[in-house]
Amino acid sequence: MRSGRAIFRVLLLPGTLWLAVLFVIPLGLVAAVSLARTNIVGLPVYGLHLDNYKSAFQSYYLPVIFRTVEYAGAATAIIGVLAYPTAYTIARFGGRLKNALIVLVILPWFVDYLVRIYAWVVILGDNGTLNGILHGLGLRGSPPVQFLNRPWAVIGGLVYTYFPFMVLPVYAALEQLDHQLIEAGRDLYASGRRVFWHITLPLSSPGIAAGIVLTFLPSLGDFATAQLLGGPDTYMVGNLIADQFSDVGDITFGSALTIVLMSVLLVVILGYLWTGSRRARAVRA
Amino acid sequence: MDRLPASQGGAGVRRARRPGRPRLLVAFTALVVCYLFAPIAVVVLFSFNKEDSLAVFGGFSTRWYVALLHDGGIHASLIASLEIGAATMMIAGIAGTALALGLERSGLRAARVVEGTVMLNLVSPEIATAVAALLIFTQLGITLSLATVILANATWAIAYVTIIVRSRLASLSSQVEEAALDLYASQWQTIRLVTLPLLWPAILASSLLVFVMSFDDFITTYFVSGLGVPPLPVRIYSMIRFGVTPEINAIGALMTVATVSLALTALALFALRRTRSGPGVVTDLNG
Repeated sequence: MRSGRAIFRVLLLPGTLWLAVLFVIPLGLVAAVSLARTNIVGLPVYGLHLDNYKSAFQSYYLPVIFRTVEYAGAATAIIGVLAYPTAYTIARFGGRLKNALIVLVILPWFVDYLVRIYAWVVILGDNGTLNGILHGLGLRGSPPVQFLNRPWAVIGGLVYTYFPFMVLPVYAALEQLDHQLIEAGRDLYASGRRVFWHITLPLSSPGIAAGIVLTFLPSLGDFATAQLLGGPDTYMVGNLIADQFSDVGDITFGSALTIVLMSVLLVVILGYLWTGSRRARAVRA
Repeated sequence: MDRLPASQGGAGVRRARRPGRPRLLVAFTALVVCYLFAPIAVVVLFSFNKEDSLAVFGGFSTRWYVALLHDGGIHASLIASLEIGAATMMIAGIAGTALALGLERSGLRAARVVEGTVMLNLVSPEIATAVAALLIFTQLGITLSLATVILANATWAIAYVTIIVRSRLASLSSQVEEAALDLYASQWQTIRLVTLPLLWPAILASSLLVFVMSFDDFITTYFVSGLGVPPLPVRIYSMIRFGVTPEINAIGALMTVATVSLALTALALFALRRTRSGPGVVTDLNG
């Protein structure tokens, strides 16, 4: 467009300032506090100390970091296995119901985050629905099966919470896929399986990559799931961070853990961008 | 949409060639849908349970809803959360729309940096942005309250509105706006009379989305809410930690009805603009 862009520059201002004051500067502050030491009353004394990072990578806390990546990774993989066929079925065979079906699949996501986790407490608890059903099936008198406080309860909770973040991008990729390519593959006597592996799957890979990022990252930072469905043995980094910002915690250590979390995020994002540019090159070639 | 008949034809041909495959996929999808809805159904069912039990349904009763009706603490928390949702929606709706217009039309190089910041905000784990907000408030000596919750929630909410409104803006042809300018409308008149009406469904939909999300936001709210009345999610969290009571089922069922109907309204607004022109629901959500 022509002249008179000044007004658009003015429009940039409020949002930019907001993000600067309440997102960028605070993140810088987290980094500064992570390098500080605490004095006797628990206030940060700024400096350039790496103590907090050393203790984060100490044998006591390192398992928590590994466990977090493991749970988030397992949840992402399971979500992928559940979400891809679902998105594929809706995109390919949904017909006129496509949009209604995809809304149906993402609808549970709009149910309150805590209520969704709580639902699993109701189902899996010692006095919960599942144990009630087992009891009714004739396992009377036997002690309740412990489903909660186990790794699979936490991973299952993450799967349930972040499922839509995979379905949506995969569905979008499959929906935009040029069906003429598939028809061409069929015309050239490729079997359905070959068409899927050589045409459909590669062409939907940008959606899969976006889905992996969108499910893995929030799973990494989750803490209510492990808090409510798990126990001390299933603590994730998020729980550790939340503890540091409670009354008894150390905010400099909590900040260091947050920076570690953001670093993992950065690695994932860079990996995503790198594979994205590789994919783009492969398409051009 | 113009490809739809071809794709349906393709599906039909496939179905004829191998009848088994879609059936298996359809069954799988049906199972996934059951898995997604079963927990919510359990919560709603047991909210009407006559007994205290979460294992056995002892008969229909509305006693837990009656208990809710008389729970003053819950009412206060509900009002606090409604205030958070409304204020966040107003701030994010206005600042996010303005930012979307600025990013798309200002032609500034610096806008790329702002855009990168918006994206970084969107992909950051919520716990990280919540910790950052908490630190800036405590270091500036600001007492945690409903206001800090609104400030912190509006930060991610602005990013959501910006992305959604911007994707709509990008799909609009600038020719309409140029026509208005050719007819001697000022830049501001063009925005007000041409651009904003075209963007209205996207602004409304993203604002509703942000209302729902900030109303039941837990992580950010948990970190930056003070000692006053806990917003509803924070109260639910402490109720669950204290022990599961069927009253939470009733809250959950009511919140489900409220948020899902608002979400459906927002999605209907997306659908509305899809049928007019432009790409579909999901492509828009992905930005």
